[in-house]
Amino acid sequence: MRKIFIITFCFILSMILIGSVVLADETMDRIEKTGKLRVGFREDSIPFAFIDPKVGKQVGFSVDMTYELAKKLSEHFGKKIEVEPFTVTTKTRIPMVANATVDVEMGSTTYTQEREDVVDFSLIFFFSETTFLVPKDSPIKTIQDLNGKRLAGARGTTNLKAIEDQAAKGLYKPREIITVEGHAQGFLALRTGKFDAYSTDRSLLEGLRMKDANPENWRTCDFAIAYEPYGYMMRKNTSDFRHFLNDTIRWSIKTGKFFELYDKWMGPKGVVPIPISPAYKSYLEVIVYPMQENWWKKK
Amino acid sequence: MGIAYNFDWGVLWRQPYGVWLLKGVWLTIQLGLLGWFIALALGIFIGTIRISRWRWLRFLGTAYVEVFRNIPFLVQLFFWYYAGPMLFGQTLQFRINAIIGLNYYVAIVALGLYTASRVAEHVRAGFGSIARDQYQAALSTGLTEVQMYRYVIIPYALRIIIPPLTTEFLTIFKNSSIAMTIGVAEATFMSYKIDSETFHGLEATTGAMAIYLILGLAVVKLMGILESRFRIAGLVGRK
Repeated sequence: MRKIFIITFCFILSMILIGSVVLADETMDRIEKTGKLRVGFREDSIPFAFIDPKVGKQVGFSVDMTYELAKKLSEHFGKKIEVEPFTVTTKTRIPMVANATVDVEMGSTTYTQEREDVVDFSLIFFFSETTFLVPKDSPIKTIQDLNGKRLAGARGTTNLKAIEDQAAKGLYKPREIITVEGHAQGFLALRTGKFDAYSTDRSLLEGLRMKDANPENWRTCDFAIAYEPYGYMMRKNTSDFRHFLNDTIRWSIKTGKFFELYDKWMGPKGVVPIPISPAYKSYLEVIVYPMQENWWKKK
Repeated sequence: MGIAYNFDWGVLWRQPYGVWLLKGVWLTIQLGLLGWFIALALGIFIGTIRISRWRWLRFLGTAYVEVFRNIPFLVQLFFWYYAGPMLFGQTLQFRINAIIGLNYYVAIVALGLYTASRVAEHVRAGFGSIARDQYQAALSTGLTEVQMYRYVIIPYALRIIIPPLTTEFLTIFKNSSIAMTIGVAEATFMSYKIDSETFHGLEATTGAMAIYLILGLAVVKLMGILESRFRIAGLVGRK
């Protein structure tokens, strides 16, 4: 069944390819002609793209980033480019991007090599990190400190698999890896000293920590043992458009707009507080190469 | 458009999944046998004190049975694992929680304590099924009360209750799958784990089913041998 899908995608893509031999970048031309940027948004990916019940439409970090893109596109074409939102789900997002229903999907899609075969990805703008929640005065500060410690994760999560895989690879040698049924039990067991560190996504760990009566008694580790990189998804072979989106992301980092949006959605007072880890921060700093003012001007 | 499920029975013996399943089976056998050891010893003791002449001993036995058999095993397991160590006070609690493989030991003890309450009921029923004359006859030969139980009543009662004990022995293996919820990597745990890694849950579950069936049949066979080995002609059964 999956093969048929992929073959269908390849067929559609090849049709698009044939068309794009003539046009430099179909997407950019179409956006200029229609004045509309068609974007796929999720409805449930908090805090990246989700429905705000008060306004009844999609909001979130990636949605705000879309409006940044539309603003830059407007400046590029010298005419108002409007955002036309489409709702996508985890099941429909790849087909809708591949069959050109939307120009780009802006949410929280994990970059994988299999997906790269069917669609193109923007620069990675966020990392969902597998890390650990530990008591405030725990000696665990670096990955090496995990040696000889008792680690735990919830059954069936990618995080538990990451702990096991990294231990098997020899990144660290834990004394024991313990499985629990869910995050609530994991936190309870951590509190009573059944293990030294509990693992899941950084955002979820922060959520657990904040729910405790004394959040300051706990801390999430700075390091991460595994990353799930998020990127924006667009049709293959739309290099001008992709370049433009990447430059928008980079420019927003350079001007600080990126951090402003991050703080709005994932800052201490945001919808889901996720501290920027040192590794993520350096990544963001590194991908901004010197950019000229007015890079968005049409040449 | 339905999504076809491709059966791949290879996951049951392919590396590392086959080894996982075997490790799980080995743990299931350990949980069942060690738990049964505790259940049998404690169950016979509790069952005996329930017919004791001393009221407070009887009360103790009854209280034990009612508490343990009326609370679902899952709840008991969670209690022993998460709250159990707290009963020992602040300092000792952290010592206990630092034990490697704590969940494994807790599972064995919890299985034993729970099953003991059921064994005790069968033991009491076994005593009840022995005629009053038998007690009097034993005492009239000059045996003391303890000797009467040791040499006459308990040997009879245990033979009578072999069939219901077989059921309990089977149940302890089946209940051991609940130990999965506190992270003991027994057979069911492993079949779930294979499912989450390979998405071949149906094969893994079928594998686990076959394992429990084989274990169960082995237990039935073993208890059958015990039953015929210790049979007293004319006591139970028609042969």
